[in-house]
Amino acid sequence: MHVTSPVREPLIQGGKTYADVTEDICRHVEGAPTKEWKIAFGISLLVLAYGTVCLAWTWWEGLGVWGLNKTVGWAWDITNFVWWVGIGHAGTLISAILLLFRQKWRTSINRAAEAMTIFAVICAASFILMHMGRPWMAYWALPLPNAFGSLWVNFNSPLVWDVFAISTYFSVSLVFWYIGLIPDLATIRDRATSKVSRFMYGTFAMGWDGSAKTWARYEYISLILAGLSTPLVLSVHTIVSMDFATSVIPGWHTTIFPPYFVAGAIFSGFAMVQNLMLITRVVYKLEDYITLEHIETMNKVITLTGSVVGVAYITEFFIAWYGGVEYEYYAFFNRMTGPYWWAYWAMMTCNVISPQLFWSRKLRRSITFTFFISIVVNIGMWFERFVIIVTSLHRDYIPSSWAMFSPTRYDIGDYIFSFGLFFTLFLLFSKYLPVVNMAEVKAVLRSTSAQLPAKIAGVAKVRQRGTAEPAFDKDKE
Amino acid sequence: MASAHSIPSIEERFEFTSEAKRNLLIGGGVGLALVALGAYLAATGGGHEAVAHGAEQAAAAVGHAGAEHGAAGHGAAAAAEGGHHAKSWVARIWANLWVNGVYFTGMSVVGMFFISYNYLAQAGWSTVFKRIPEALPAFLPYMGVVMLLTFIFGGHDLFHWTHEGLYEVGGPEYDKIIAGKRGFLNTPFFIIRLVIYFAVWYWLWRVIRNLSLKEDEIGGTEFYEKSIRFGTAFLVVFGVTSSTSAWDFVMSIDTHWFSTMFGWYTLASWHVAGLAVITLTVVMLRERGYLRAVNSSHLRDLGKFIFAFSIFWTYVWFAQFLLIYYANLPEETIYFIERFRGHGGFYKAPFFITLFLNFFFPFLVLMTRDAKYTHSILKVACWSVIIGHYMDFYTNIMPGTVGAGAELGALEWGFFLIFLCAFAYSIASQLEKANLIPRNHPMLEESLHHDIA
Amino acid sequence: MAELSGKYLVGVYDDDDTVLHAVPRLRKAGVKIKEVYSPFPIHGMDEALGHPRTRIGIAAFMFGVTGCCVALTLMIWTMGIDWPMIIGGKDPISIPAYIPITFELTVLFTAFGMVITFFISNGLGPGTHAHPRFDVRSTDNKFVMAIDLGRNSMTVEDISRALKDSGAEEVNIKQF
Repeated sequence: MHVTSPVREPLIQGGKTYADVTEDICRHVEGAPTKEWKIAFGISLLVLAYGTVCLAWTWWEGLGVWGLNKTVGWAWDITNFVWWVGIGHAGTLISAILLLFRQKWRTSINRAAEAMTIFAVICAASFILMHMGRPWMAYWALPLPNAFGSLWVNFNSPLVWDVFAISTYFSVSLVFWYIGLIPDLATIRDRATSKVSRFMYGTFAMGWDGSAKTWARYEYISLILAGLSTPLVLSVHTIVSMDFATSVIPGWHTTIFPPYFVAGAIFSGFAMVQNLMLITRVVYKLEDYITLEHIETMNKVITLTGSVVGVAYITEFFIAWYGGVEYEYYAFFNRMTGPYWWAYWAMMTCNVISPQLFWSRKLRRSITFTFFISIVVNIGMWFERFVIIVTSLHRDYIPSSWAMFSPTRYDIGDYIFSFGLFFTLFLLFSKYLPVVNMAEVKAVLRSTSAQLPAKIAGVAKVRQRGTAEPAFDKDKE
Repeated sequence: MASAHSIPSIEERFEFTSEAKRNLLIGGGVGLALVALGAYLAATGGGHEAVAHGAEQAAAAVGHAGAEHGAAGHGAAAAAEGGHHAKSWVARIWANLWVNGVYFTGMSVVGMFFISYNYLAQAGWSTVFKRIPEALPAFLPYMGVVMLLTFIFGGHDLFHWTHEGLYEVGGPEYDKIIAGKRGFLNTPFFIIRLVIYFAVWYWLWRVIRNLSLKEDEIGGTEFYEKSIRFGTAFLVVFGVTSSTSAWDFVMSIDTHWFSTMFGWYTLASWHVAGLAVITLTVVMLRERGYLRAVNSSHLRDLGKFIFAFSIFWTYVWFAQFLLIYYANLPEETIYFIERFRGHGGFYKAPFFITLFLNFFFPFLVLMTRDAKYTHSILKVACWSVIIGHYMDFYTNIMPGTVGAGAELGALEWGFFLIFLCAFAYSIASQLEKANLIPRNHPMLEESLHHDIA
Repeated sequence: MAELSGKYLVGVYDDDDTVLHAVPRLRKAGVKIKEVYSPFPIHGMDEALGHPRTRIGIAAFMFGVTGCCVALTLMIWTMGIDWPMIIGGKDPISIPAYIPITFELTVLFTAFGMVITFFISNGLGPGTHAHPRFDVRSTDNKFVMAIDLGRNSMTVEDISRALKDSGAEEVNIKQF
């Protein structure tokens, strides 16, 4: 017997039945693409095409087309990489950590958030390939005898750790997401009217039948996968932070980096999920599933992680003074008052101050305001990486090598490429796959619905072909 | 498991029997005797040679580490202190008071931390045993007094930065780096901070506790809503003060050294130790016939919490260690060199015991599903974590205070025992003051039916 | 009995609570239930059906240990034995620097090993339709109980009456 406390706000509105859930979510997968979708997809493809041209030129001509110089040898490329990886943390957080904490509100958003994660990690990975300048040599990063000679990759290097971390994270997230998709794919398969979609969804549903034994194992491995993904998601941004923190560059080498990067990643990831979900909910008319409660809860998480990031900023700053290391102190002082002061203050405003506005209940329940702040947070988190990376590098130990960084059209174009890629993938996902996890929503429907219909199973709106053999009725036999 | 829930009565009063009181007093008495014995041994010169010898080695090891001016100066200071034998055993007593004070303060305040984040997250499962974390912070005032007095009377032995000579420009002891920290590390400001921490933590706890007790009598959701607000306020306060207090209480002992992670590292240590105390108390109450409403699902969740936050502590510990190890900057690495090779290698054992008790042991023992609700296994894991984190604070505090004069003998365990018994006494007398189950909590029904099968 | 093999009685329920309560009732009445199919996991259903607890966890642990060993062996051998190198002043075999990759590979092996085990043990795979599907609505909004008539000694009428009594809204016969 399950009891839900009356003080909890309901999560699902509209008196949905199980059949309603199936119908509301499957409708978008089964119907023809809408006009809005086509326009959005067209724009994404255009952006992607422009980005691809820029990227092709970057690879053709070499990394010299970027605005890097001898002092600032790492700028937008790595900023964008860290930014995307960070965004790619929210999905696994929602699906893994919140699963372990049994937060029921995650069921409405985890599918899209995880998809977002996977696409964000793909975008991040594209920057690693861009970095290489010669992407056809990418296999050199793998643990193979180097160039098939006798030298191996350097396992002491945080960049090699990154290769392992990102690829593990990507593949485990993908598997986790796919496992969650299987029952829903089976639902679509069983509703499919055309042969093609029955075949396609049927193939990917892997013969799922929803038996109690399968469900028991499914729930079990979901928990274990969540238990694995939780330290994994922490480890990924930890290792990303170590790309910087293991060095001895003032402003980079600080021990708080691992958890602070993780908090920042969750912060930006939630903001991105918030953005995407606010659009999806309107376009797909999912207001009954993604309610104000969901939005408010996500805003609370944004405020929490934003505050954690704020505490980390202050800690770094304090210790830079407290430590009494003049280079460290200069690095931080220079961030605030040096030539990149605008980036620093943009970061502070967007990341520390703006999420504090959500202390007001009115603001955190305002959809427009939430959308606006989510964008602000993502801008802020981009600036955070920019500040950490560029301002720490641009003042070298010798004043004669001090330099500034200015992006070229290829820095910008390659960044645009990642946006094109991201939105193209996300739009494809939102058209061809169910954006809400139907099975999980159904599982919590009874305890989270605002008003339960008389018959919670409801009447399936689409009558399947060949379903009903005549009911067995003893009197007629 | 899912079907047949028979909910035991929610009306239960804990009785702090005279027998239990006597046992705790005996425990405290044994602790006192051990302290007396340890102090006698220390004062009459047991291990005197080791002390002097260790100090030399420490200086040598520290110098060998290639440390620059600051570190070498520090090593020399440690050696000098180690050499002063008469002083060292007194310093050892102060250091012991400080280690236990910091550790038990942390475990007490984590009770409040636990309640607060459970309120904020609208957690339902934990309601049934909410009175136990709620009872922990009652110990805070005592710890506040212990720490304040220890600082006032023994601060000079514990905190290198309290030495006036360090700040005399041009003086023989002048230390530019420490002098630069004077705006933060000075006696009046330190005492003000210490008092503020305890006052604010304790006051917020009193508010939440009173709301909870009133809720027991009156009912309704008004107290619940208010508690969420005060819990959130506490989290905001604690979000900052947990870090600053860690800098004050522990990090400033090794005055030169700094690590931005240290605040969160200490919080992780306090947190998991506090969880172990909560779990241990729940299990012990169940063994004495109380809290029958706490079912195997609650216990498993508590077990998971300890499991998860042991790993979290290890993560924070390792991240800090790895970054310092990797970058190998002398002013940072000295911290670990001192614990590895300094002081005659004395701290190497506590250093690794800490890792074993706080990570490997609870990790392996609590991994399986059934272990997390088996009383005996939970108890062993909790004790491992409680002792392990004592060792953690011991390894962090002792090298900078008593250095080579440290031991892990009668004095140390005696003090630990005294504090432990006093803490248990405080918890038990708090538990006695209210119904063991918060009978009108709006989440109670949900918690009673908690079932994760 | 022979004519009954491959013949199933299918009870269709429209409520997860009803089917959950029906299971122990039917089992008590002597009905041997093959499986219950549902659109989402029903808490306590596998216990009610008497399915043994899954042992995938043990497999996962083994995969994890394998991953851990593979990672450490790979790094210790390449960095310390095959081509020893001193990097950043660290020993050729510097365990702290190996821990991140060891962790990642442990997780990777555990996750993939476990998921592959899951697919195999459930007979899931691309293009498989290993299990007979008794009612397609079981992935939408119905809860479907399958009873293998070949394995039950009770009469069809008795079972179907028991199904109806336990709350089934339809009772169908399915032949494979």
